[in-house]
Amino acid sequence: MVVQWLSGETAMDIAVCLCQVPDTASVISVLDGAVDLSRVHEVMNPFDEYALEEAVRLKERFEGSVVTLFCAAPPSAKEMLRKALALGGDRAVLISGTEEPSDPFQTALLLSRAISACYATALPDLILCGKHSTDFQSAQVPLMLAELLDIASVSAIIKLNASTEGIQVEREIEGGIELLDLHYPALFSVEKGLNVPRKTTIKAVIEARKKPIEHLSLTLSESPFVAITAMKPLIRKKQCRFVSDAKELIRLLSHEEALF
Amino acid sequence: MKRLFSELRGKRGGNKAMKRFLVFLEQREGVVKQASIDTWNRVQELATLRPDITVTGLLAGPADLLQLEGRMAGTGVLYLASEARFSIYNPERYQRLITDIMKREACSDLFFADTVLSRDLAPRLSVRLQASLLSGCSIVEDIASEGSCTRALYSGSVIASFAPRRPLRIYTTSSRPTHPIIPSEAYISLVRLEPPGFIEAAFLPVVRGLVMRESGSDVAEAGIIVAGGRGMGSAEDFEQLEELARLLGGVVGASRPVVDEGWRPHAEQIGQTGKTVAPALYVACAISGAPQHLAGIGSARKVVAINSDPHAPIFDVADYGIVGDVHLVLPKLIEGLQEFLKKR
Repeated sequence: MVVQWLSGETAMDIAVCLCQVPDTASVISVLDGAVDLSRVHEVMNPFDEYALEEAVRLKERFEGSVVTLFCAAPPSAKEMLRKALALGGDRAVLISGTEEPSDPFQTALLLSRAISACYATALPDLILCGKHSTDFQSAQVPLMLAELLDIASVSAIIKLNASTEGIQVEREIEGGIELLDLHYPALFSVEKGLNVPRKTTIKAVIEARKKPIEHLSLTLSESPFVAITAMKPLIRKKQCRFVSDAKELIRLLSHEEALF
Repeated sequence: MKRLFSELRGKRGGNKAMKRFLVFLEQREGVVKQASIDTWNRVQELATLRPDITVTGLLAGPADLLQLEGRMAGTGVLYLASEARFSIYNPERYQRLITDIMKREACSDLFFADTVLSRDLAPRLSVRLQASLLSGCSIVEDIASEGSCTRALYSGSVIASFAPRRPLRIYTTSSRPTHPIIPSEAYISLVRLEPPGFIEAAFLPVVRGLVMRESGSDVAEAGIIVAGGRGMGSAEDFEQLEELARLLGGVVGASRPVVDEGWRPHAEQIGQTGKTVAPALYVACAISGAPQHLAGIGSARKVVAINSDPHAPIFDVADYGIVGDVHLVLPKLIEGLQEFLKKR
């Protein structure tokens, strides 16, 4: 709950969900029907960086607020969480199941249980997630999480204006922008353009070492909703026909391709 | 070919052994989305593979129905929830409307076009209906037999097949322009829905307003895109692309560096951290073709690349290429098109 302090200032509990994706320079290869992650360097999902940055900005504005990071991933995600703590998170919860979540539903389920467990009596005031992970681009986890927690939510926001009374957000739709009003608590998935994330400083990195990373072990009792049954490399090479001048190109596009 | 378009009132009888597919049709300001019509037509194609599939449609919000005439293939019932309260997307209201029809019609499979709306709505429905959600499906033919579908992952470097594990299934299908062959016996009945009986609690969030861009067009829906990369040089240089897009009846797109430079808005960004597009024609000007950019244009039908570097990776995915400086090639292209259009 938003706590109204005597000074009139407001403190918020903010949860940020983070995940890891291969960095953009990684070469993705398929081995035995799965992506060979041994050759991949994993980093924080770029969209999650915007979510984290927004949470830290809110914390700076509403003194006394606490930003808690949630991540359902193997222990190797600890390095990424340390970086997120250096970027302004206060504490982190690394969720590990008896088995790794294998679809968005199981991931959302683990996150919802972890969030419920950490905020025993109520939900956090705000939950922020990246719009989607850049590897699968499913954009399912944030909204599934909202549904599981039964919390108001808006996806892919590009502007967030929080006050003690409520939250105004903007989201991009095809050809325009939608303006929405919400009350606390609320969940948002964030789009690029919301903010420009800061860089870590050496001082922040050192301070982050003292911040707590809690390990939370949860049992996944529900089966996944979806399974990946096959995976293979996709080669999308085309035979490019080089043309020397603009007129020839126009002729080909209009006559041979009938595009206009 | 003229197609029968009738309006029925009341409920039709049903055969329990049939497999029922529900297609959700989306409108904005009364205009039914082309992507939704494409999805309807793709699902109708699927239904021709299996005689036991029936297709039902659901159109939420008031819309001009005459525009659908001759654009929707196949047979089936199209339910119209034409009340004003469905005119703007509200997740809670839409969820209740859809779950209501899914139950009433005993539908097993629900289809959406892959749009901003369905990316918000489908995951919520997946949890509420305990249904498998397969999103962004590009190859859908296996849905009729096994329920599985295929799409690209990891910036288009991997293709994966997804299989549902729940008895109810939701699919969002990526756009692919359809040219339906509408047989003369094609017959779609329109049924106005009785107002669903759910209580209107204070459904949050509340939409305060909608601000549409002047053109109202979006790269995600455009049939022709003229996109520029950092090699364009400056924000001003995009005027040439705007002119070219105008002549072609398309819209302007941009690569990430261009948006990061502030030359173009993020709404126009195409690629991994931007939009995924599926135009009939994609003209890439001074775009080198980084994997993150190519991730967004995998569904473009024809790609034209203009770049001064003959080894730029964009040429590997292009159908036509011109090696040269965009600042020299573009004026010629614009001039040539103006002449071409004048002659026609």
